[in-house]
Amino acid sequence: MKKRICIIIIFFLSLFILLNRLVTPKYQTELIEGHMIKEYYQEAKNHEVIFIGDCEVYANFSPIQMYKDYGITSYIRGTSQQLIWQSLEILKETLKYEKPKVIVFNVNSMRYDKPVSEAYNRLTLDNMKWSQEKINMINSSMLEEETFLSYIFPILRYHSRITELTKEDLDYFLNEKNITFNGFLINKNIKPYTSFPEQRRLPSYTFKENVYKYLDEMVKITKNNNIELVLIKAPSIYPYWYDEYEKQIIDYASKNNLHYYNLKKVVDEVGIDYNTDTYDGGLHLNLNGATKLSKYFGKLLQDEFNLTDYRNNESVNSIYQNKILLYNDAIK
Amino acid sequence: MANILLLIISILIYASFGLKSLIFIVFSALSTYLAAKYMYKNKKLIFYSTLIINILILVFFKIISFNNFLNISILVPLGISYYTFSVLGYLIDIYKEKYQPEKSIFNYFLFVMYIPYLFIGPISRYDQISKTLYNKRTITKDNFFNGLIRVAWGLFKKYVIAGRIAIIISTISSNPEAYFGSYVFLALILYSFELYNDFSGGIDMVLGFSKILGIELSENFNSPYLSENLREFWRKWHISLSTWFKDYVYIPLGGNKCSKIRNRINLIITFIVSGLWHGINYFFWGLFHGIIVAFTPKEKSDFKVLNITLTFLIVSFLWVFFIYPDSLTSFKMFFSIFYKFNGIDLINNITKLGLNIPNLIIMIVTIIIGIIVDIKHDKLKSIYNLKIDKKLIIILSLLLITLLLGIYGLGFEKSNFIYSKF
Repeated sequence: MKKRICIIIIFFLSLFILLNRLVTPKYQTELIEGHMIKEYYQEAKNHEVIFIGDCEVYANFSPIQMYKDYGITSYIRGTSQQLIWQSLEILKETLKYEKPKVIVFNVNSMRYDKPVSEAYNRLTLDNMKWSQEKINMINSSMLEEETFLSYIFPILRYHSRITELTKEDLDYFLNEKNITFNGFLINKNIKPYTSFPEQRRLPSYTFKENVYKYLDEMVKITKNNNIELVLIKAPSIYPYWYDEYEKQIIDYASKNNLHYYNLKKVVDEVGIDYNTDTYDGGLHLNLNGATKLSKYFGKLLQDEFNLTDYRNNESVNSIYQNKILLYNDAIK
Repeated sequence: MANILLLIISILIYASFGLKSLIFIVFSALSTYLAAKYMYKNKKLIFYSTLIINILILVFFKIISFNNFLNISILVPLGISYYTFSVLGYLIDIYKEKYQPEKSIFNYFLFVMYIPYLFIGPISRYDQISKTLYNKRTITKDNFFNGLIRVAWGLFKKYVIAGRIAIIISTISSNPEAYFGSYVFLALILYSFELYNDFSGGIDMVLGFSKILGIELSENFNSPYLSENLREFWRKWHISLSTWFKDYVYIPLGGNKCSKIRNRINLIITFIVSGLWHGINYFFWGLFHGIIVAFTPKEKSDFKVLNITLTFLIVSFLWVFFIYPDSLTSFKMFFSIFYKFNGIDLINNITKLGLNIPNLIIMIVTIIIGIIVDIKHDKLKSIYNLKIDKKLIIILSLLLITLLLGIYGLGFEKSNFIYSKF
C-alpha cells in the first residue's frame, strides 16, 4: 500500500510540475522581453563588461557590434523596467558567475522608489534562476496583490491561461529559442520621431533615499571587487530625464569617483537620426541607432578601461564568430 | 488539552481579523456563559437582559453593515450572526431548562469560537456539538482522508463552479441598464448554482476540516434543488438556520399548534424575520418565501420532475433580491424578464459576459457534475469506504483541477464567501 501511495504522489507531483510548465508564458513570440533574463545562464561567462538596467540598455547597445568593432566581450542583463533594487540583485547574481572589469548601470531607474507593475516584475523574475538574489528581488518588488508563493508555483498566477493556451505553449514546452544576442534585443522597425509628450511637472525631483541606498550598495560591491562602475543615461528624445536628475547624478558620480556618461548629450556626435534610428518615435533606438551607439560607446569603453581585444583570443573568438554569423543573419 | 489548543488557535485566527472583533465575541461568549451559570438567581431578569443586549449588538452591526454609513462596515465582527445565533440558542435552551449549563468556561468558549464555522456556518447548537466537541478525539486515517475529500470537493465547488459563474453574475448585475430581460433570467438561474456551490462548498470545507479533527458537525444542505416544493426546500437548504428559526421563532410564535390562519401568519412572520436577518433589502425575499410556504399544500403532486423544476424556478426567481442592491431594482429587473426577453441577443452576446467559450464550457460541465453529485449523493457516500490509495487519487485530482481551473488570484476579484456577509 505504501508503495502505491508513493507512486500516486509522484504521479500527481509530476503532473503538477508539467501543468506549471504548460501554463507559464514561454515569452517566445509575445512579451519576448520575459525571456531575456534566462539567456544569460546559457552563456559562457567571460564578459569584461556587463550592462544592467531597464529597456534603455537592451534596446540601445549591441554587444556583438562592440565585439566586431573592438573585441569587447560584453553582456546586457537588462530587463523591462528593471528597478534599481533589481539591478543590484542582478549585479550580485552576476558576480557569482563571473567578475567583469566594468559594470555599466543605466541610471534611468533612479526615478522609481517603489514597485511599478506586476507585469514588469514577471518579465524580470519569471525566468530568473532561483537564488538568494531572486528571493530578495521578489520580496522587494512584489505589489500588494502579489504573493511569493505564486513565484514558486507559477500555476497560482497563470492558471487562467489554461483556456487561452496557444501553439507557442506547446511548441516551446520543452525547448525555447534565444531571442537576444548577448542580451541585445534587435528591433529593425523604424518609427520616426514626430512629437513627444510634454514634460510632466513632478511634485519632487529629488531621488529618494532608498534609491540612493541601493546605488550606494552597488558602489560598495563594485569597489570591493575592483570593478569599475560606470553610470550612463542612454539616449532618448522623450523628456523624462530632468535637469535636476542630471545634477544629482553628476554630484553622486563626482562624490564617489565614478564615471558618468549622459549619452543623450552626444547624439549628434554619435550620428543618431531620430527619423531613422528609432522604432518607437524616439523613446528607444532601433538596430540602426543601437549600432551607431555601440560603435561610439565601445570605443569609449576601450579607451577608458583598458579592455582586452578578444578577437586575438582563439577560443573566445571562435565562440563569437558563431554569434556574429547568426547576428549578421538576424540583422539582414 | 487538545480542546484548549483548538481554542487558542481559534482565538489567534479570529484575532488576526481585528482585535475589536475579538472584544465583541468574547463579550457574547462571556455574557451568555455567566447568564446561564447564574440564571437560577434571577431567571427572567438575567435571561432577558442578556438576550436583549446580544440581539441589540447583532441588530446594530446588521444595520451599519447594510447601510454602510461612515464606512463602519469594516468593523463588523467576523461571524457575528453565526455566533450570536449560537449563544442565543444556548441561552434560550438553558432558560427553558432543556439541558444543564456548561460548567467549563473553556468548553463554552470553544463552542462559541470554534473557528471553522465562524466564517460561514453552520450555526452550532450546543446540545448537538457538545457531544462531539468535548469528547476525547483521535485523528484517524479514515477521518483524515474522508475529511480531506470533503475539503477538496468544497474547494472545487467554491473556486471552479461558483467562482466562474460569479463572473457572469457580476457582469449582468453591475449594469442593469445594459443587461435586462433574458440576461436577468440567465443570471437568476446561474445564481442558484453560484450561491449553492459557494455556500455549500464553504460548508463542505468546514465539515471536512472538522472531520479531520474528529469533530462531526451536522450537514447544512441536503440536495435542496431536488426539492419538490418550497416546504421541502427549506428542510434541505441552510438547515442550521432554518431549524434555528423554526425552534426559536416559529415554534415560540405558536408553530402549527394553532389555527390554520394563525399557522400561516406564523410562517410568514418567521420568513420575514429570516429575510430581515439577511438585511433590509431581503424583506420581500422573506415575505414571498413565507407566503408561498404558507400556502403550499403538504401533499405533493405526482409529477416529480415538474415539481422539482417549478420549485427550482421559484427559488431562482426569488434570488433576484440577492443579486441587485435594492428591492426596487430587483423588482424592475425581475419584471424585465417578461417584457424585454430577447434570447437571440443573449446567445449572440454570451461571450461578452466575462467568460470565453472554453470557460463557458467548463462552467456548464462543472455545473452538471455538481448536479450529478447531488443526485447520486447517497451512492457516492461509498467513496468514504474506499481504500486510502483510491481516496488519495480523488483528493489529489480534485485539488489539481481546482488549482488549474479555479477562479482565484491576481486577475480575479478576491472571492469571499457570499454567505459570510450575512
